[in-house]
Amino acid sequence: MIHNTKYKLTIGWLYPELMSTYGDRGNIIVLQKRCEWRGIGVEVLKLDLHFNLNQLAQCDLLFMGGAQDKQQKIVSEDLMKKRNALQNRIEDGIPGLYICGAYQLLGRYYKEAERTIIPGLNIFDLYTGNPGLNVSRLIGNVAIEFQGVNSYSPSRCNHSYTLVGFENHGGRTYLGKNVKPLGKILKGFGNNGEDGTEGAIYKNSFGTYFHGPILPKNPEFADLLIKVALEKKYGSPIDLSPLDNSIEMQARKTIANRLNVEL
Amino acid sequence: MNTFLIFLGKSVAILSKIFNLGSGSTWPGHIALSLNPNFIKQIVNQNNFKIILIAGTNGKTTTGKLIQTILEKNNKKVFQNESGANLLNGIASSLLLRSSILGKIDYNFAIFEIDENTLPLILNEINNPDFIILLNLFRDQLDRYGEVNTIAKKWADAIRHLLPKTTLILNADDPQITYLGLHLKGVNVKYFGINPKNTTEKIQHASDSTYCPNCGHKLIYDIVYFSHLGSWHCNNCRFTHPQKTFTSSPIYPLSGTYNEYNTNAATLLARQIGIDDKKIYPALQNFKPAFGRQEVLNINGRNVQIFLSKNPTSFNESLKTIANLNANNLLLVLNDRIPDGRDVSWIWDVDFEDFSSQFKNITVAGDRTFDLGLRLKYAEFKNFQTKKNLAEATNVALEKTLKNDTLYILPTYSAMLEVRKILTGKNIL
Repeated sequence: MIHNTKYKLTIGWLYPELMSTYGDRGNIIVLQKRCEWRGIGVEVLKLDLHFNLNQLAQCDLLFMGGAQDKQQKIVSEDLMKKRNALQNRIEDGIPGLYICGAYQLLGRYYKEAERTIIPGLNIFDLYTGNPGLNVSRLIGNVAIEFQGVNSYSPSRCNHSYTLVGFENHGGRTYLGKNVKPLGKILKGFGNNGEDGTEGAIYKNSFGTYFHGPILPKNPEFADLLIKVALEKKYGSPIDLSPLDNSIEMQARKTIANRLNVEL
Repeated sequence: MNTFLIFLGKSVAILSKIFNLGSGSTWPGHIALSLNPNFIKQIVNQNNFKIILIAGTNGKTTTGKLIQTILEKNNKKVFQNESGANLLNGIASSLLLRSSILGKIDYNFAIFEIDENTLPLILNEINNPDFIILLNLFRDQLDRYGEVNTIAKKWADAIRHLLPKTTLILNADDPQITYLGLHLKGVNVKYFGINPKNTTEKIQHASDSTYCPNCGHKLIYDIVYFSHLGSWHCNNCRFTHPQKTFTSSPIYPLSGTYNEYNTNAATLLARQIGIDDKKIYPALQNFKPAFGRQEVLNINGRNVQIFLSKNPTSFNESLKTIANLNANNLLLVLNDRIPDGRDVSWIWDVDFEDFSSQFKNITVAGDRTFDLGLRLKYAEFKNFQTKKNLAEATNVALEKTLKNDTLYILPTYSAMLEVRKILTGKNIL
């Protein structure tokens, strides 16, 4: 299956030790395998606590998962020091996927139930509030209509499709003007359970509450990240060779059927 | 009042049995508690049996059964709540079904396995149990339990007010569990672990507690047994693995490192009760596993052995154990019902990659057949077959298993009950 090609990607996995609670590693495995199966060279750089900024500069694609509160605090302190470097890369259009805690951290702030405000990295125009332990967490299978990548990206996705996953979050996220939602809720709660949005897109960065993890059952989305990363790196349009997605589709269909959502 | 509740509860249990309604192990207690919230407290205070509580993510049922076997072999009268009926209603049912109409329970020991979230609640009802065993804390059903740290915190608050009457039996190799004994005053604390081996394993991906529970620094591990269990210490605050730890039952009746922990916990407890080692070991030798926990069935000349595998750590340990047993034939069953956890993300935290060419025939089934199939695909397994219908999958897996060979079944909780029913034709709960 693996053949030589001229392409190579470096995936930066931010805080794999601390930010990886909900099977988030699945996203990395999927990105890695879908590159390998196409003969695209791939290296995963683990950017753990106190990582070097040079390493961040080498990456073509970023990923960061969710975590327990305690771990998230440790990460947030470390990342605050590297905020500018990360912001520069994101503004420059490096593609990235940020799940749950990571998604919240990239926002302006996180307001705890006791009204304490924890400042975020302030890279995405959004904020999160937690209504407290007496208000239910938003938990369950979820489906959204993914509206594709907008004009920020060199690669356009001209059709919308359904993404499925599992969400489990106490925080409610509200989007500002400078970000677009990742998609429209078909079933489930999404960002806050009120406005019908889920996730956020800013430049080529994607934030979402989807666990599941998100990429295995949504291979088009995984491929989109790979494609954008390659196009950004090599500066020309790139078509990925197709892969057999039949188990992926069956797994997605299981959830879609349960939620009564058409694919 | 309680006389009426006991009568009512027993009638409900009989009716549920006659009509095969299931849930006979929780309904009676549920009704009793909704009419008298103090039911557990009152029945316990009215009786003299000693109480053993067992909590932890993995190993509750097996450890409980090990203790029961040892105690019964030593002529004690013992009762236990039904495996899985480990919330307040299950405990209340268990008390109710053993008591006379006047609330008298004629037993020496009660062993209760307790759900992680229920431990604080049961300690409100049973203020000073004789023994509490805390086995481990791993990530499990995050949609239901939340984070490991949250549970550890709840447990710490719950055991803070224990009286000296209670003996706490803690896993020395799990830093979060050891930490629970650190600041307790006046309570008798004993530790168990396993014997250090020469092999040093890498920290597995699904490790949760590799940071010091005392000061938050990264822990140093000299040895890792599995997940975050091992010989550890903190260089920052000097919090260390307890020195005096019981690690050596001479017989381990079940395979797998995880069962060494369960056996050592049970043996340590039996010693605390005052049972002589010489009387503990014969009991271990005759131990029969609890249903679905390495239980062996014989189906048409083939051995079938069920290894309940319900979270990343238990799945990893099951895979490791059956690989050591040279398993050829596997049936993996993934359900996502309430007892399994609705979120199946955790399968991506299982280290399937280490076993991609280990097994000859693999059949995948359950509510989330294709999620598990997908996981195997990305771990580069080539020889697996997906079959959504569990009865069909079981047949396929049995057909692929040669006579005198063993089919190993790794199911989640509800899948275990289901597959057992298919194999034996009987409903257990």
